[in-house]
Amino acid sequence: MTTRAKAKADAQRTLALDILNHGALALVALLFLFPFFWMVSNAVRSNAEVLAIPVRILPNVYEWGNFAKAWSELPFGRFFLNSMIVSVSVTVITVVVSCLSGYAFARLKFPGRDQLLMAYLGTLMIPGIMLIIPLFLIVNNLGMVNTFQGVILPVAFGTFGSFLLRQFFLSIPLELEEAARIDGASRLRILVSIIVPLSMPAIGLLSLFTFIGQWNNFLWPLIVMTGSDNATLPVGLTYFQTQQGTAWNFIMAGAALSMIPGVILAIVLQKLIYNSIALNAGMGGR
Amino acid sequence: MHETAVANAVPAKRRKSRLDAGEGRTAFFFLLPSLIGVMLFLVFPIIASVVLSFTNWKLLGQPAFVGFANYTRLFTADPQFWPVLRNTLFFTAEYLVLNIIISLGLAVWISSLKMGQRWFRVIFFLPTFTPGIAVAIVWMLIFAPDGFFDFVMSSLSIHIPSMLTDQTLAMQAVIIVSLWAGVGYNTVLFNAALDMVPANYLEAARIDGASAWDRFWKIRLPLISPTLFFGTVMTAITSLQVFDQIYVMTRGGPGNATATLGYAIYQRGFQNFQMGYASAIAWVMFAMIMALTAFQFWLQRKWVHYDN
Amino acid sequence: MKLSLILAGAALVGSSVFAIQVQAQDAPVNLTWQMWGDEKDTALWESLAALVTEEYPNITVTPQISGWTDYWTRLPVLASSGQIADLVAMQSMRMPSFYSILEPLNPHFEGDSFDLAPFEPSIISGLSHDGTSYALPYDVGPWLVFYNRDKFAEAGVAEPAPDWTFDDFKAAAQKLTSGENYGYATQAFDFIAGPVSLGAEYFNDANQFDLTNASYVADVGKFADLVAVDKASPVFASGAGATTASGRFASGNAAMYIDGPWSLISTQGAVDFKVGVAPLPRGEGESRFITAGSGWGISATSANKEAAYKALQVLTGPKAAEILASAGRALPGRLAEQSFWYDVAAKDISGTRETLEYSFEHATPFRLNENWNEFENLLTQYMPLALNGDSTTEAVLADIQSQLP
Repeated sequence: MTTRAKAKADAQRTLALDILNHGALALVALLFLFPFFWMVSNAVRSNAEVLAIPVRILPNVYEWGNFAKAWSELPFGRFFLNSMIVSVSVTVITVVVSCLSGYAFARLKFPGRDQLLMAYLGTLMIPGIMLIIPLFLIVNNLGMVNTFQGVILPVAFGTFGSFLLRQFFLSIPLELEEAARIDGASRLRILVSIIVPLSMPAIGLLSLFTFIGQWNNFLWPLIVMTGSDNATLPVGLTYFQTQQGTAWNFIMAGAALSMIPGVILAIVLQKLIYNSIALNAGMGGR
Repeated sequence: MHETAVANAVPAKRRKSRLDAGEGRTAFFFLLPSLIGVMLFLVFPIIASVVLSFTNWKLLGQPAFVGFANYTRLFTADPQFWPVLRNTLFFTAEYLVLNIIISLGLAVWISSLKMGQRWFRVIFFLPTFTPGIAVAIVWMLIFAPDGFFDFVMSSLSIHIPSMLTDQTLAMQAVIIVSLWAGVGYNTVLFNAALDMVPANYLEAARIDGASAWDRFWKIRLPLISPTLFFGTVMTAITSLQVFDQIYVMTRGGPGNATATLGYAIYQRGFQNFQMGYASAIAWVMFAMIMALTAFQFWLQRKWVHYDN
Repeated sequence: MKLSLILAGAALVGSSVFAIQVQAQDAPVNLTWQMWGDEKDTALWESLAALVTEEYPNITVTPQISGWTDYWTRLPVLASSGQIADLVAMQSMRMPSFYSILEPLNPHFEGDSFDLAPFEPSIISGLSHDGTSYALPYDVGPWLVFYNRDKFAEAGVAEPAPDWTFDDFKAAAQKLTSGENYGYATQAFDFIAGPVSLGAEYFNDANQFDLTNASYVADVGKFADLVAVDKASPVFASGAGATTASGRFASGNAAMYIDGPWSLISTQGAVDFKVGVAPLPRGEGESRFITAGSGWGISATSANKEAAYKALQVLTGPKAAEILASAGRALPGRLAEQSFWYDVAAKDISGTRETLEYSFEHATPFRLNENWNEFENLLTQYMPLALNGDSTTEAVLADIQSQLP
């Protein structure tokens, strides 16, 4: 009796502790989500109420129409499309280029390979803001100011992807491709039909971070895209800051809208994100 | 016999070098797209920026070479350089330590849950998906004088100055925002690493009577230390470049309380148009990033356990 | 490598200028027009562009709009690479930094004996550098005190007279402060416009910064003490030093703040109380006020300078001024058309015409140099230290001075 009762009491205590544990973390998570709540809460009030004192947690008057207004006052649909074009193109180029170079670093012997890889790694430490002016001069000389290729190309050749994929390719057993080589398959064919399908978590990680990085990129598209119709979302948000003052409520509404693709991606792709990062965790120390 | 061996060896050797040459050629074509891009959009701008740091280019007008004048001015004449350097190091140190502690804590906490792990991961990861400018603007509204934060503090009868107007607290506000935005990635990273610790190791230790505390310090932590190291290095590199939050929330102020190297580059280069001088600051920043990374690699021998 | 790149770029731009300038008079010309603003204003700018085509059927003007802050990030980058539009918007306070990218207009004026008399003189000089005009204005305005008439009535404070003194201003601010409500909300620019109207100068005779001169320190101190000592205004945060006062005013938290006529219509639209405007308070001596404004110039590297000059005259002409004034977008730089602004856009705001006419009568030149923006940024960054008591006005100004050339 005593042992069973003790086991039961233990189980009950564990259950109680479990609930407490979940509840406490849920509380932390809620606190963590507060800025998002504040974003939406400020998006649906009048601009005067944003800075009202004393602070109102919830708006006095709900102005749900602000989302529609923020959307229609600027060509937000167009900005969405622009952001999409830029982010998707950069991602595709980055992945293709990194697969090719990553494979060369991982599997092909050529003089100076290790030195070149070190040089690639070294560029990761260059502060990006410094390259903006020289990059702009290059884009200008290529006649690409205010064009999509002008925004896309200079950011599509980062060296991180080459390094990341090289690390992953190294972990794929060599035997898998040796059979294909004996059959006379070309390196390109091996890369496309054997290595790439096996590397989906790593390619997923690279795609995801490239996409999000470009979706959130601000300074570079701001400088290259001179026409107002060509602005991307983060640049478009700043149109609400005028000489006459700032439409905080519209900025918040626009920011909330611009988060939607990211949130959807985060939820839909959570499995991929976790797997990819897990992979990163596994490779991290090597 | 001897002759045949030689005869055989020659073509083999030739075949091998032809194969090498073939591989070299393949490597060349595989690397070509990347190399063209890197040369044009990375190496060339980097060289340009080195050259710029030896000129007095003011963005409008013609540049002239000034030798090491920018660097001399930086280290000897600019009254702002040392405070800026101090702020940058202060930010990096505090942010790095807190980021690692909090994200490791959250990762351990999440991995202790029986259910809903993935939802907690999504929540802490959300800021990563939010445009940096939007994040900084929301937080600026929260910390604005008489804004939400001050409202909460006065409701709790805690009397502290408004964060963004106070010399010591402003940097703390920047760190809080940076943590909120940056902790998610490391949380998921460490959480994933913890999940990869073989369950039977922990079970064996439990049977041996090791407390939860011991299991964490003696088994899980050493086993995830390579990942921990990776996260620390990457976080350190980005934190030395901190800019977005400062640009939106404090503009380096009040006074020079939150002026960091990243902001100084923007301010000198894009606000005051001293591109040459800004380039010199950027190269000092590069040197710091190199030094810190090298230091971490040196330090890793003391605490990172590779399981070979 | 870098230098040669720039030189090559410049040479390329230069040669294309000569190549294209040799063209028939009436060949179709497409001009680009770089402007700041939000999308709301787009229709307005397009109607102005249409005026140009109406007058000169062979000329079309395409506006390129960016947000206010980012306009100034983007402009120098575009200018340094010769990618600048034919017509360029310019604010008077930024002229010393940017005049070199604009075409001097005086030769053009002489060419067709253009008459500057219909314009407010203070803004013509504001858009000049060393006596040469680089832009024609579309708007102008002095800094003014915006006040909440309802709050003044409630607190029993008399509404300000045009020649009110700093002591009147201070008394009003103190009386209007109670509980969580402030009499005044200060922002960074107040420490420029305010001391000048009290009679101080931040420059020496050589047009270089002299922030530590006794009268400037004393007058900045007067405004700072309203915050630090009297607590009649909140401290602004350095990150938003130029934007939060209007929010405090609009929400009814502060009864007065300082802004320009360019904000009057949007402020009026955002509040549910009666707004009044008054000149800035004066010191011991005569009233004196600085004015600022914006206009458009022709890019020095434009390939179509003649057409751009024609377009510029239409864009800053009487008809365009009437459109902008009636819409409330701008108090025109053209004196005759200012009445459209007074009668249409500002008709509900008491004292506007008297206040502005008084201010223009007592206008003083707004002294600027090429480090002006640095100065303004440093004020925004450092002034909060004097306002929250961490430092003194004198120390803050000395610190700023040490960072200016």
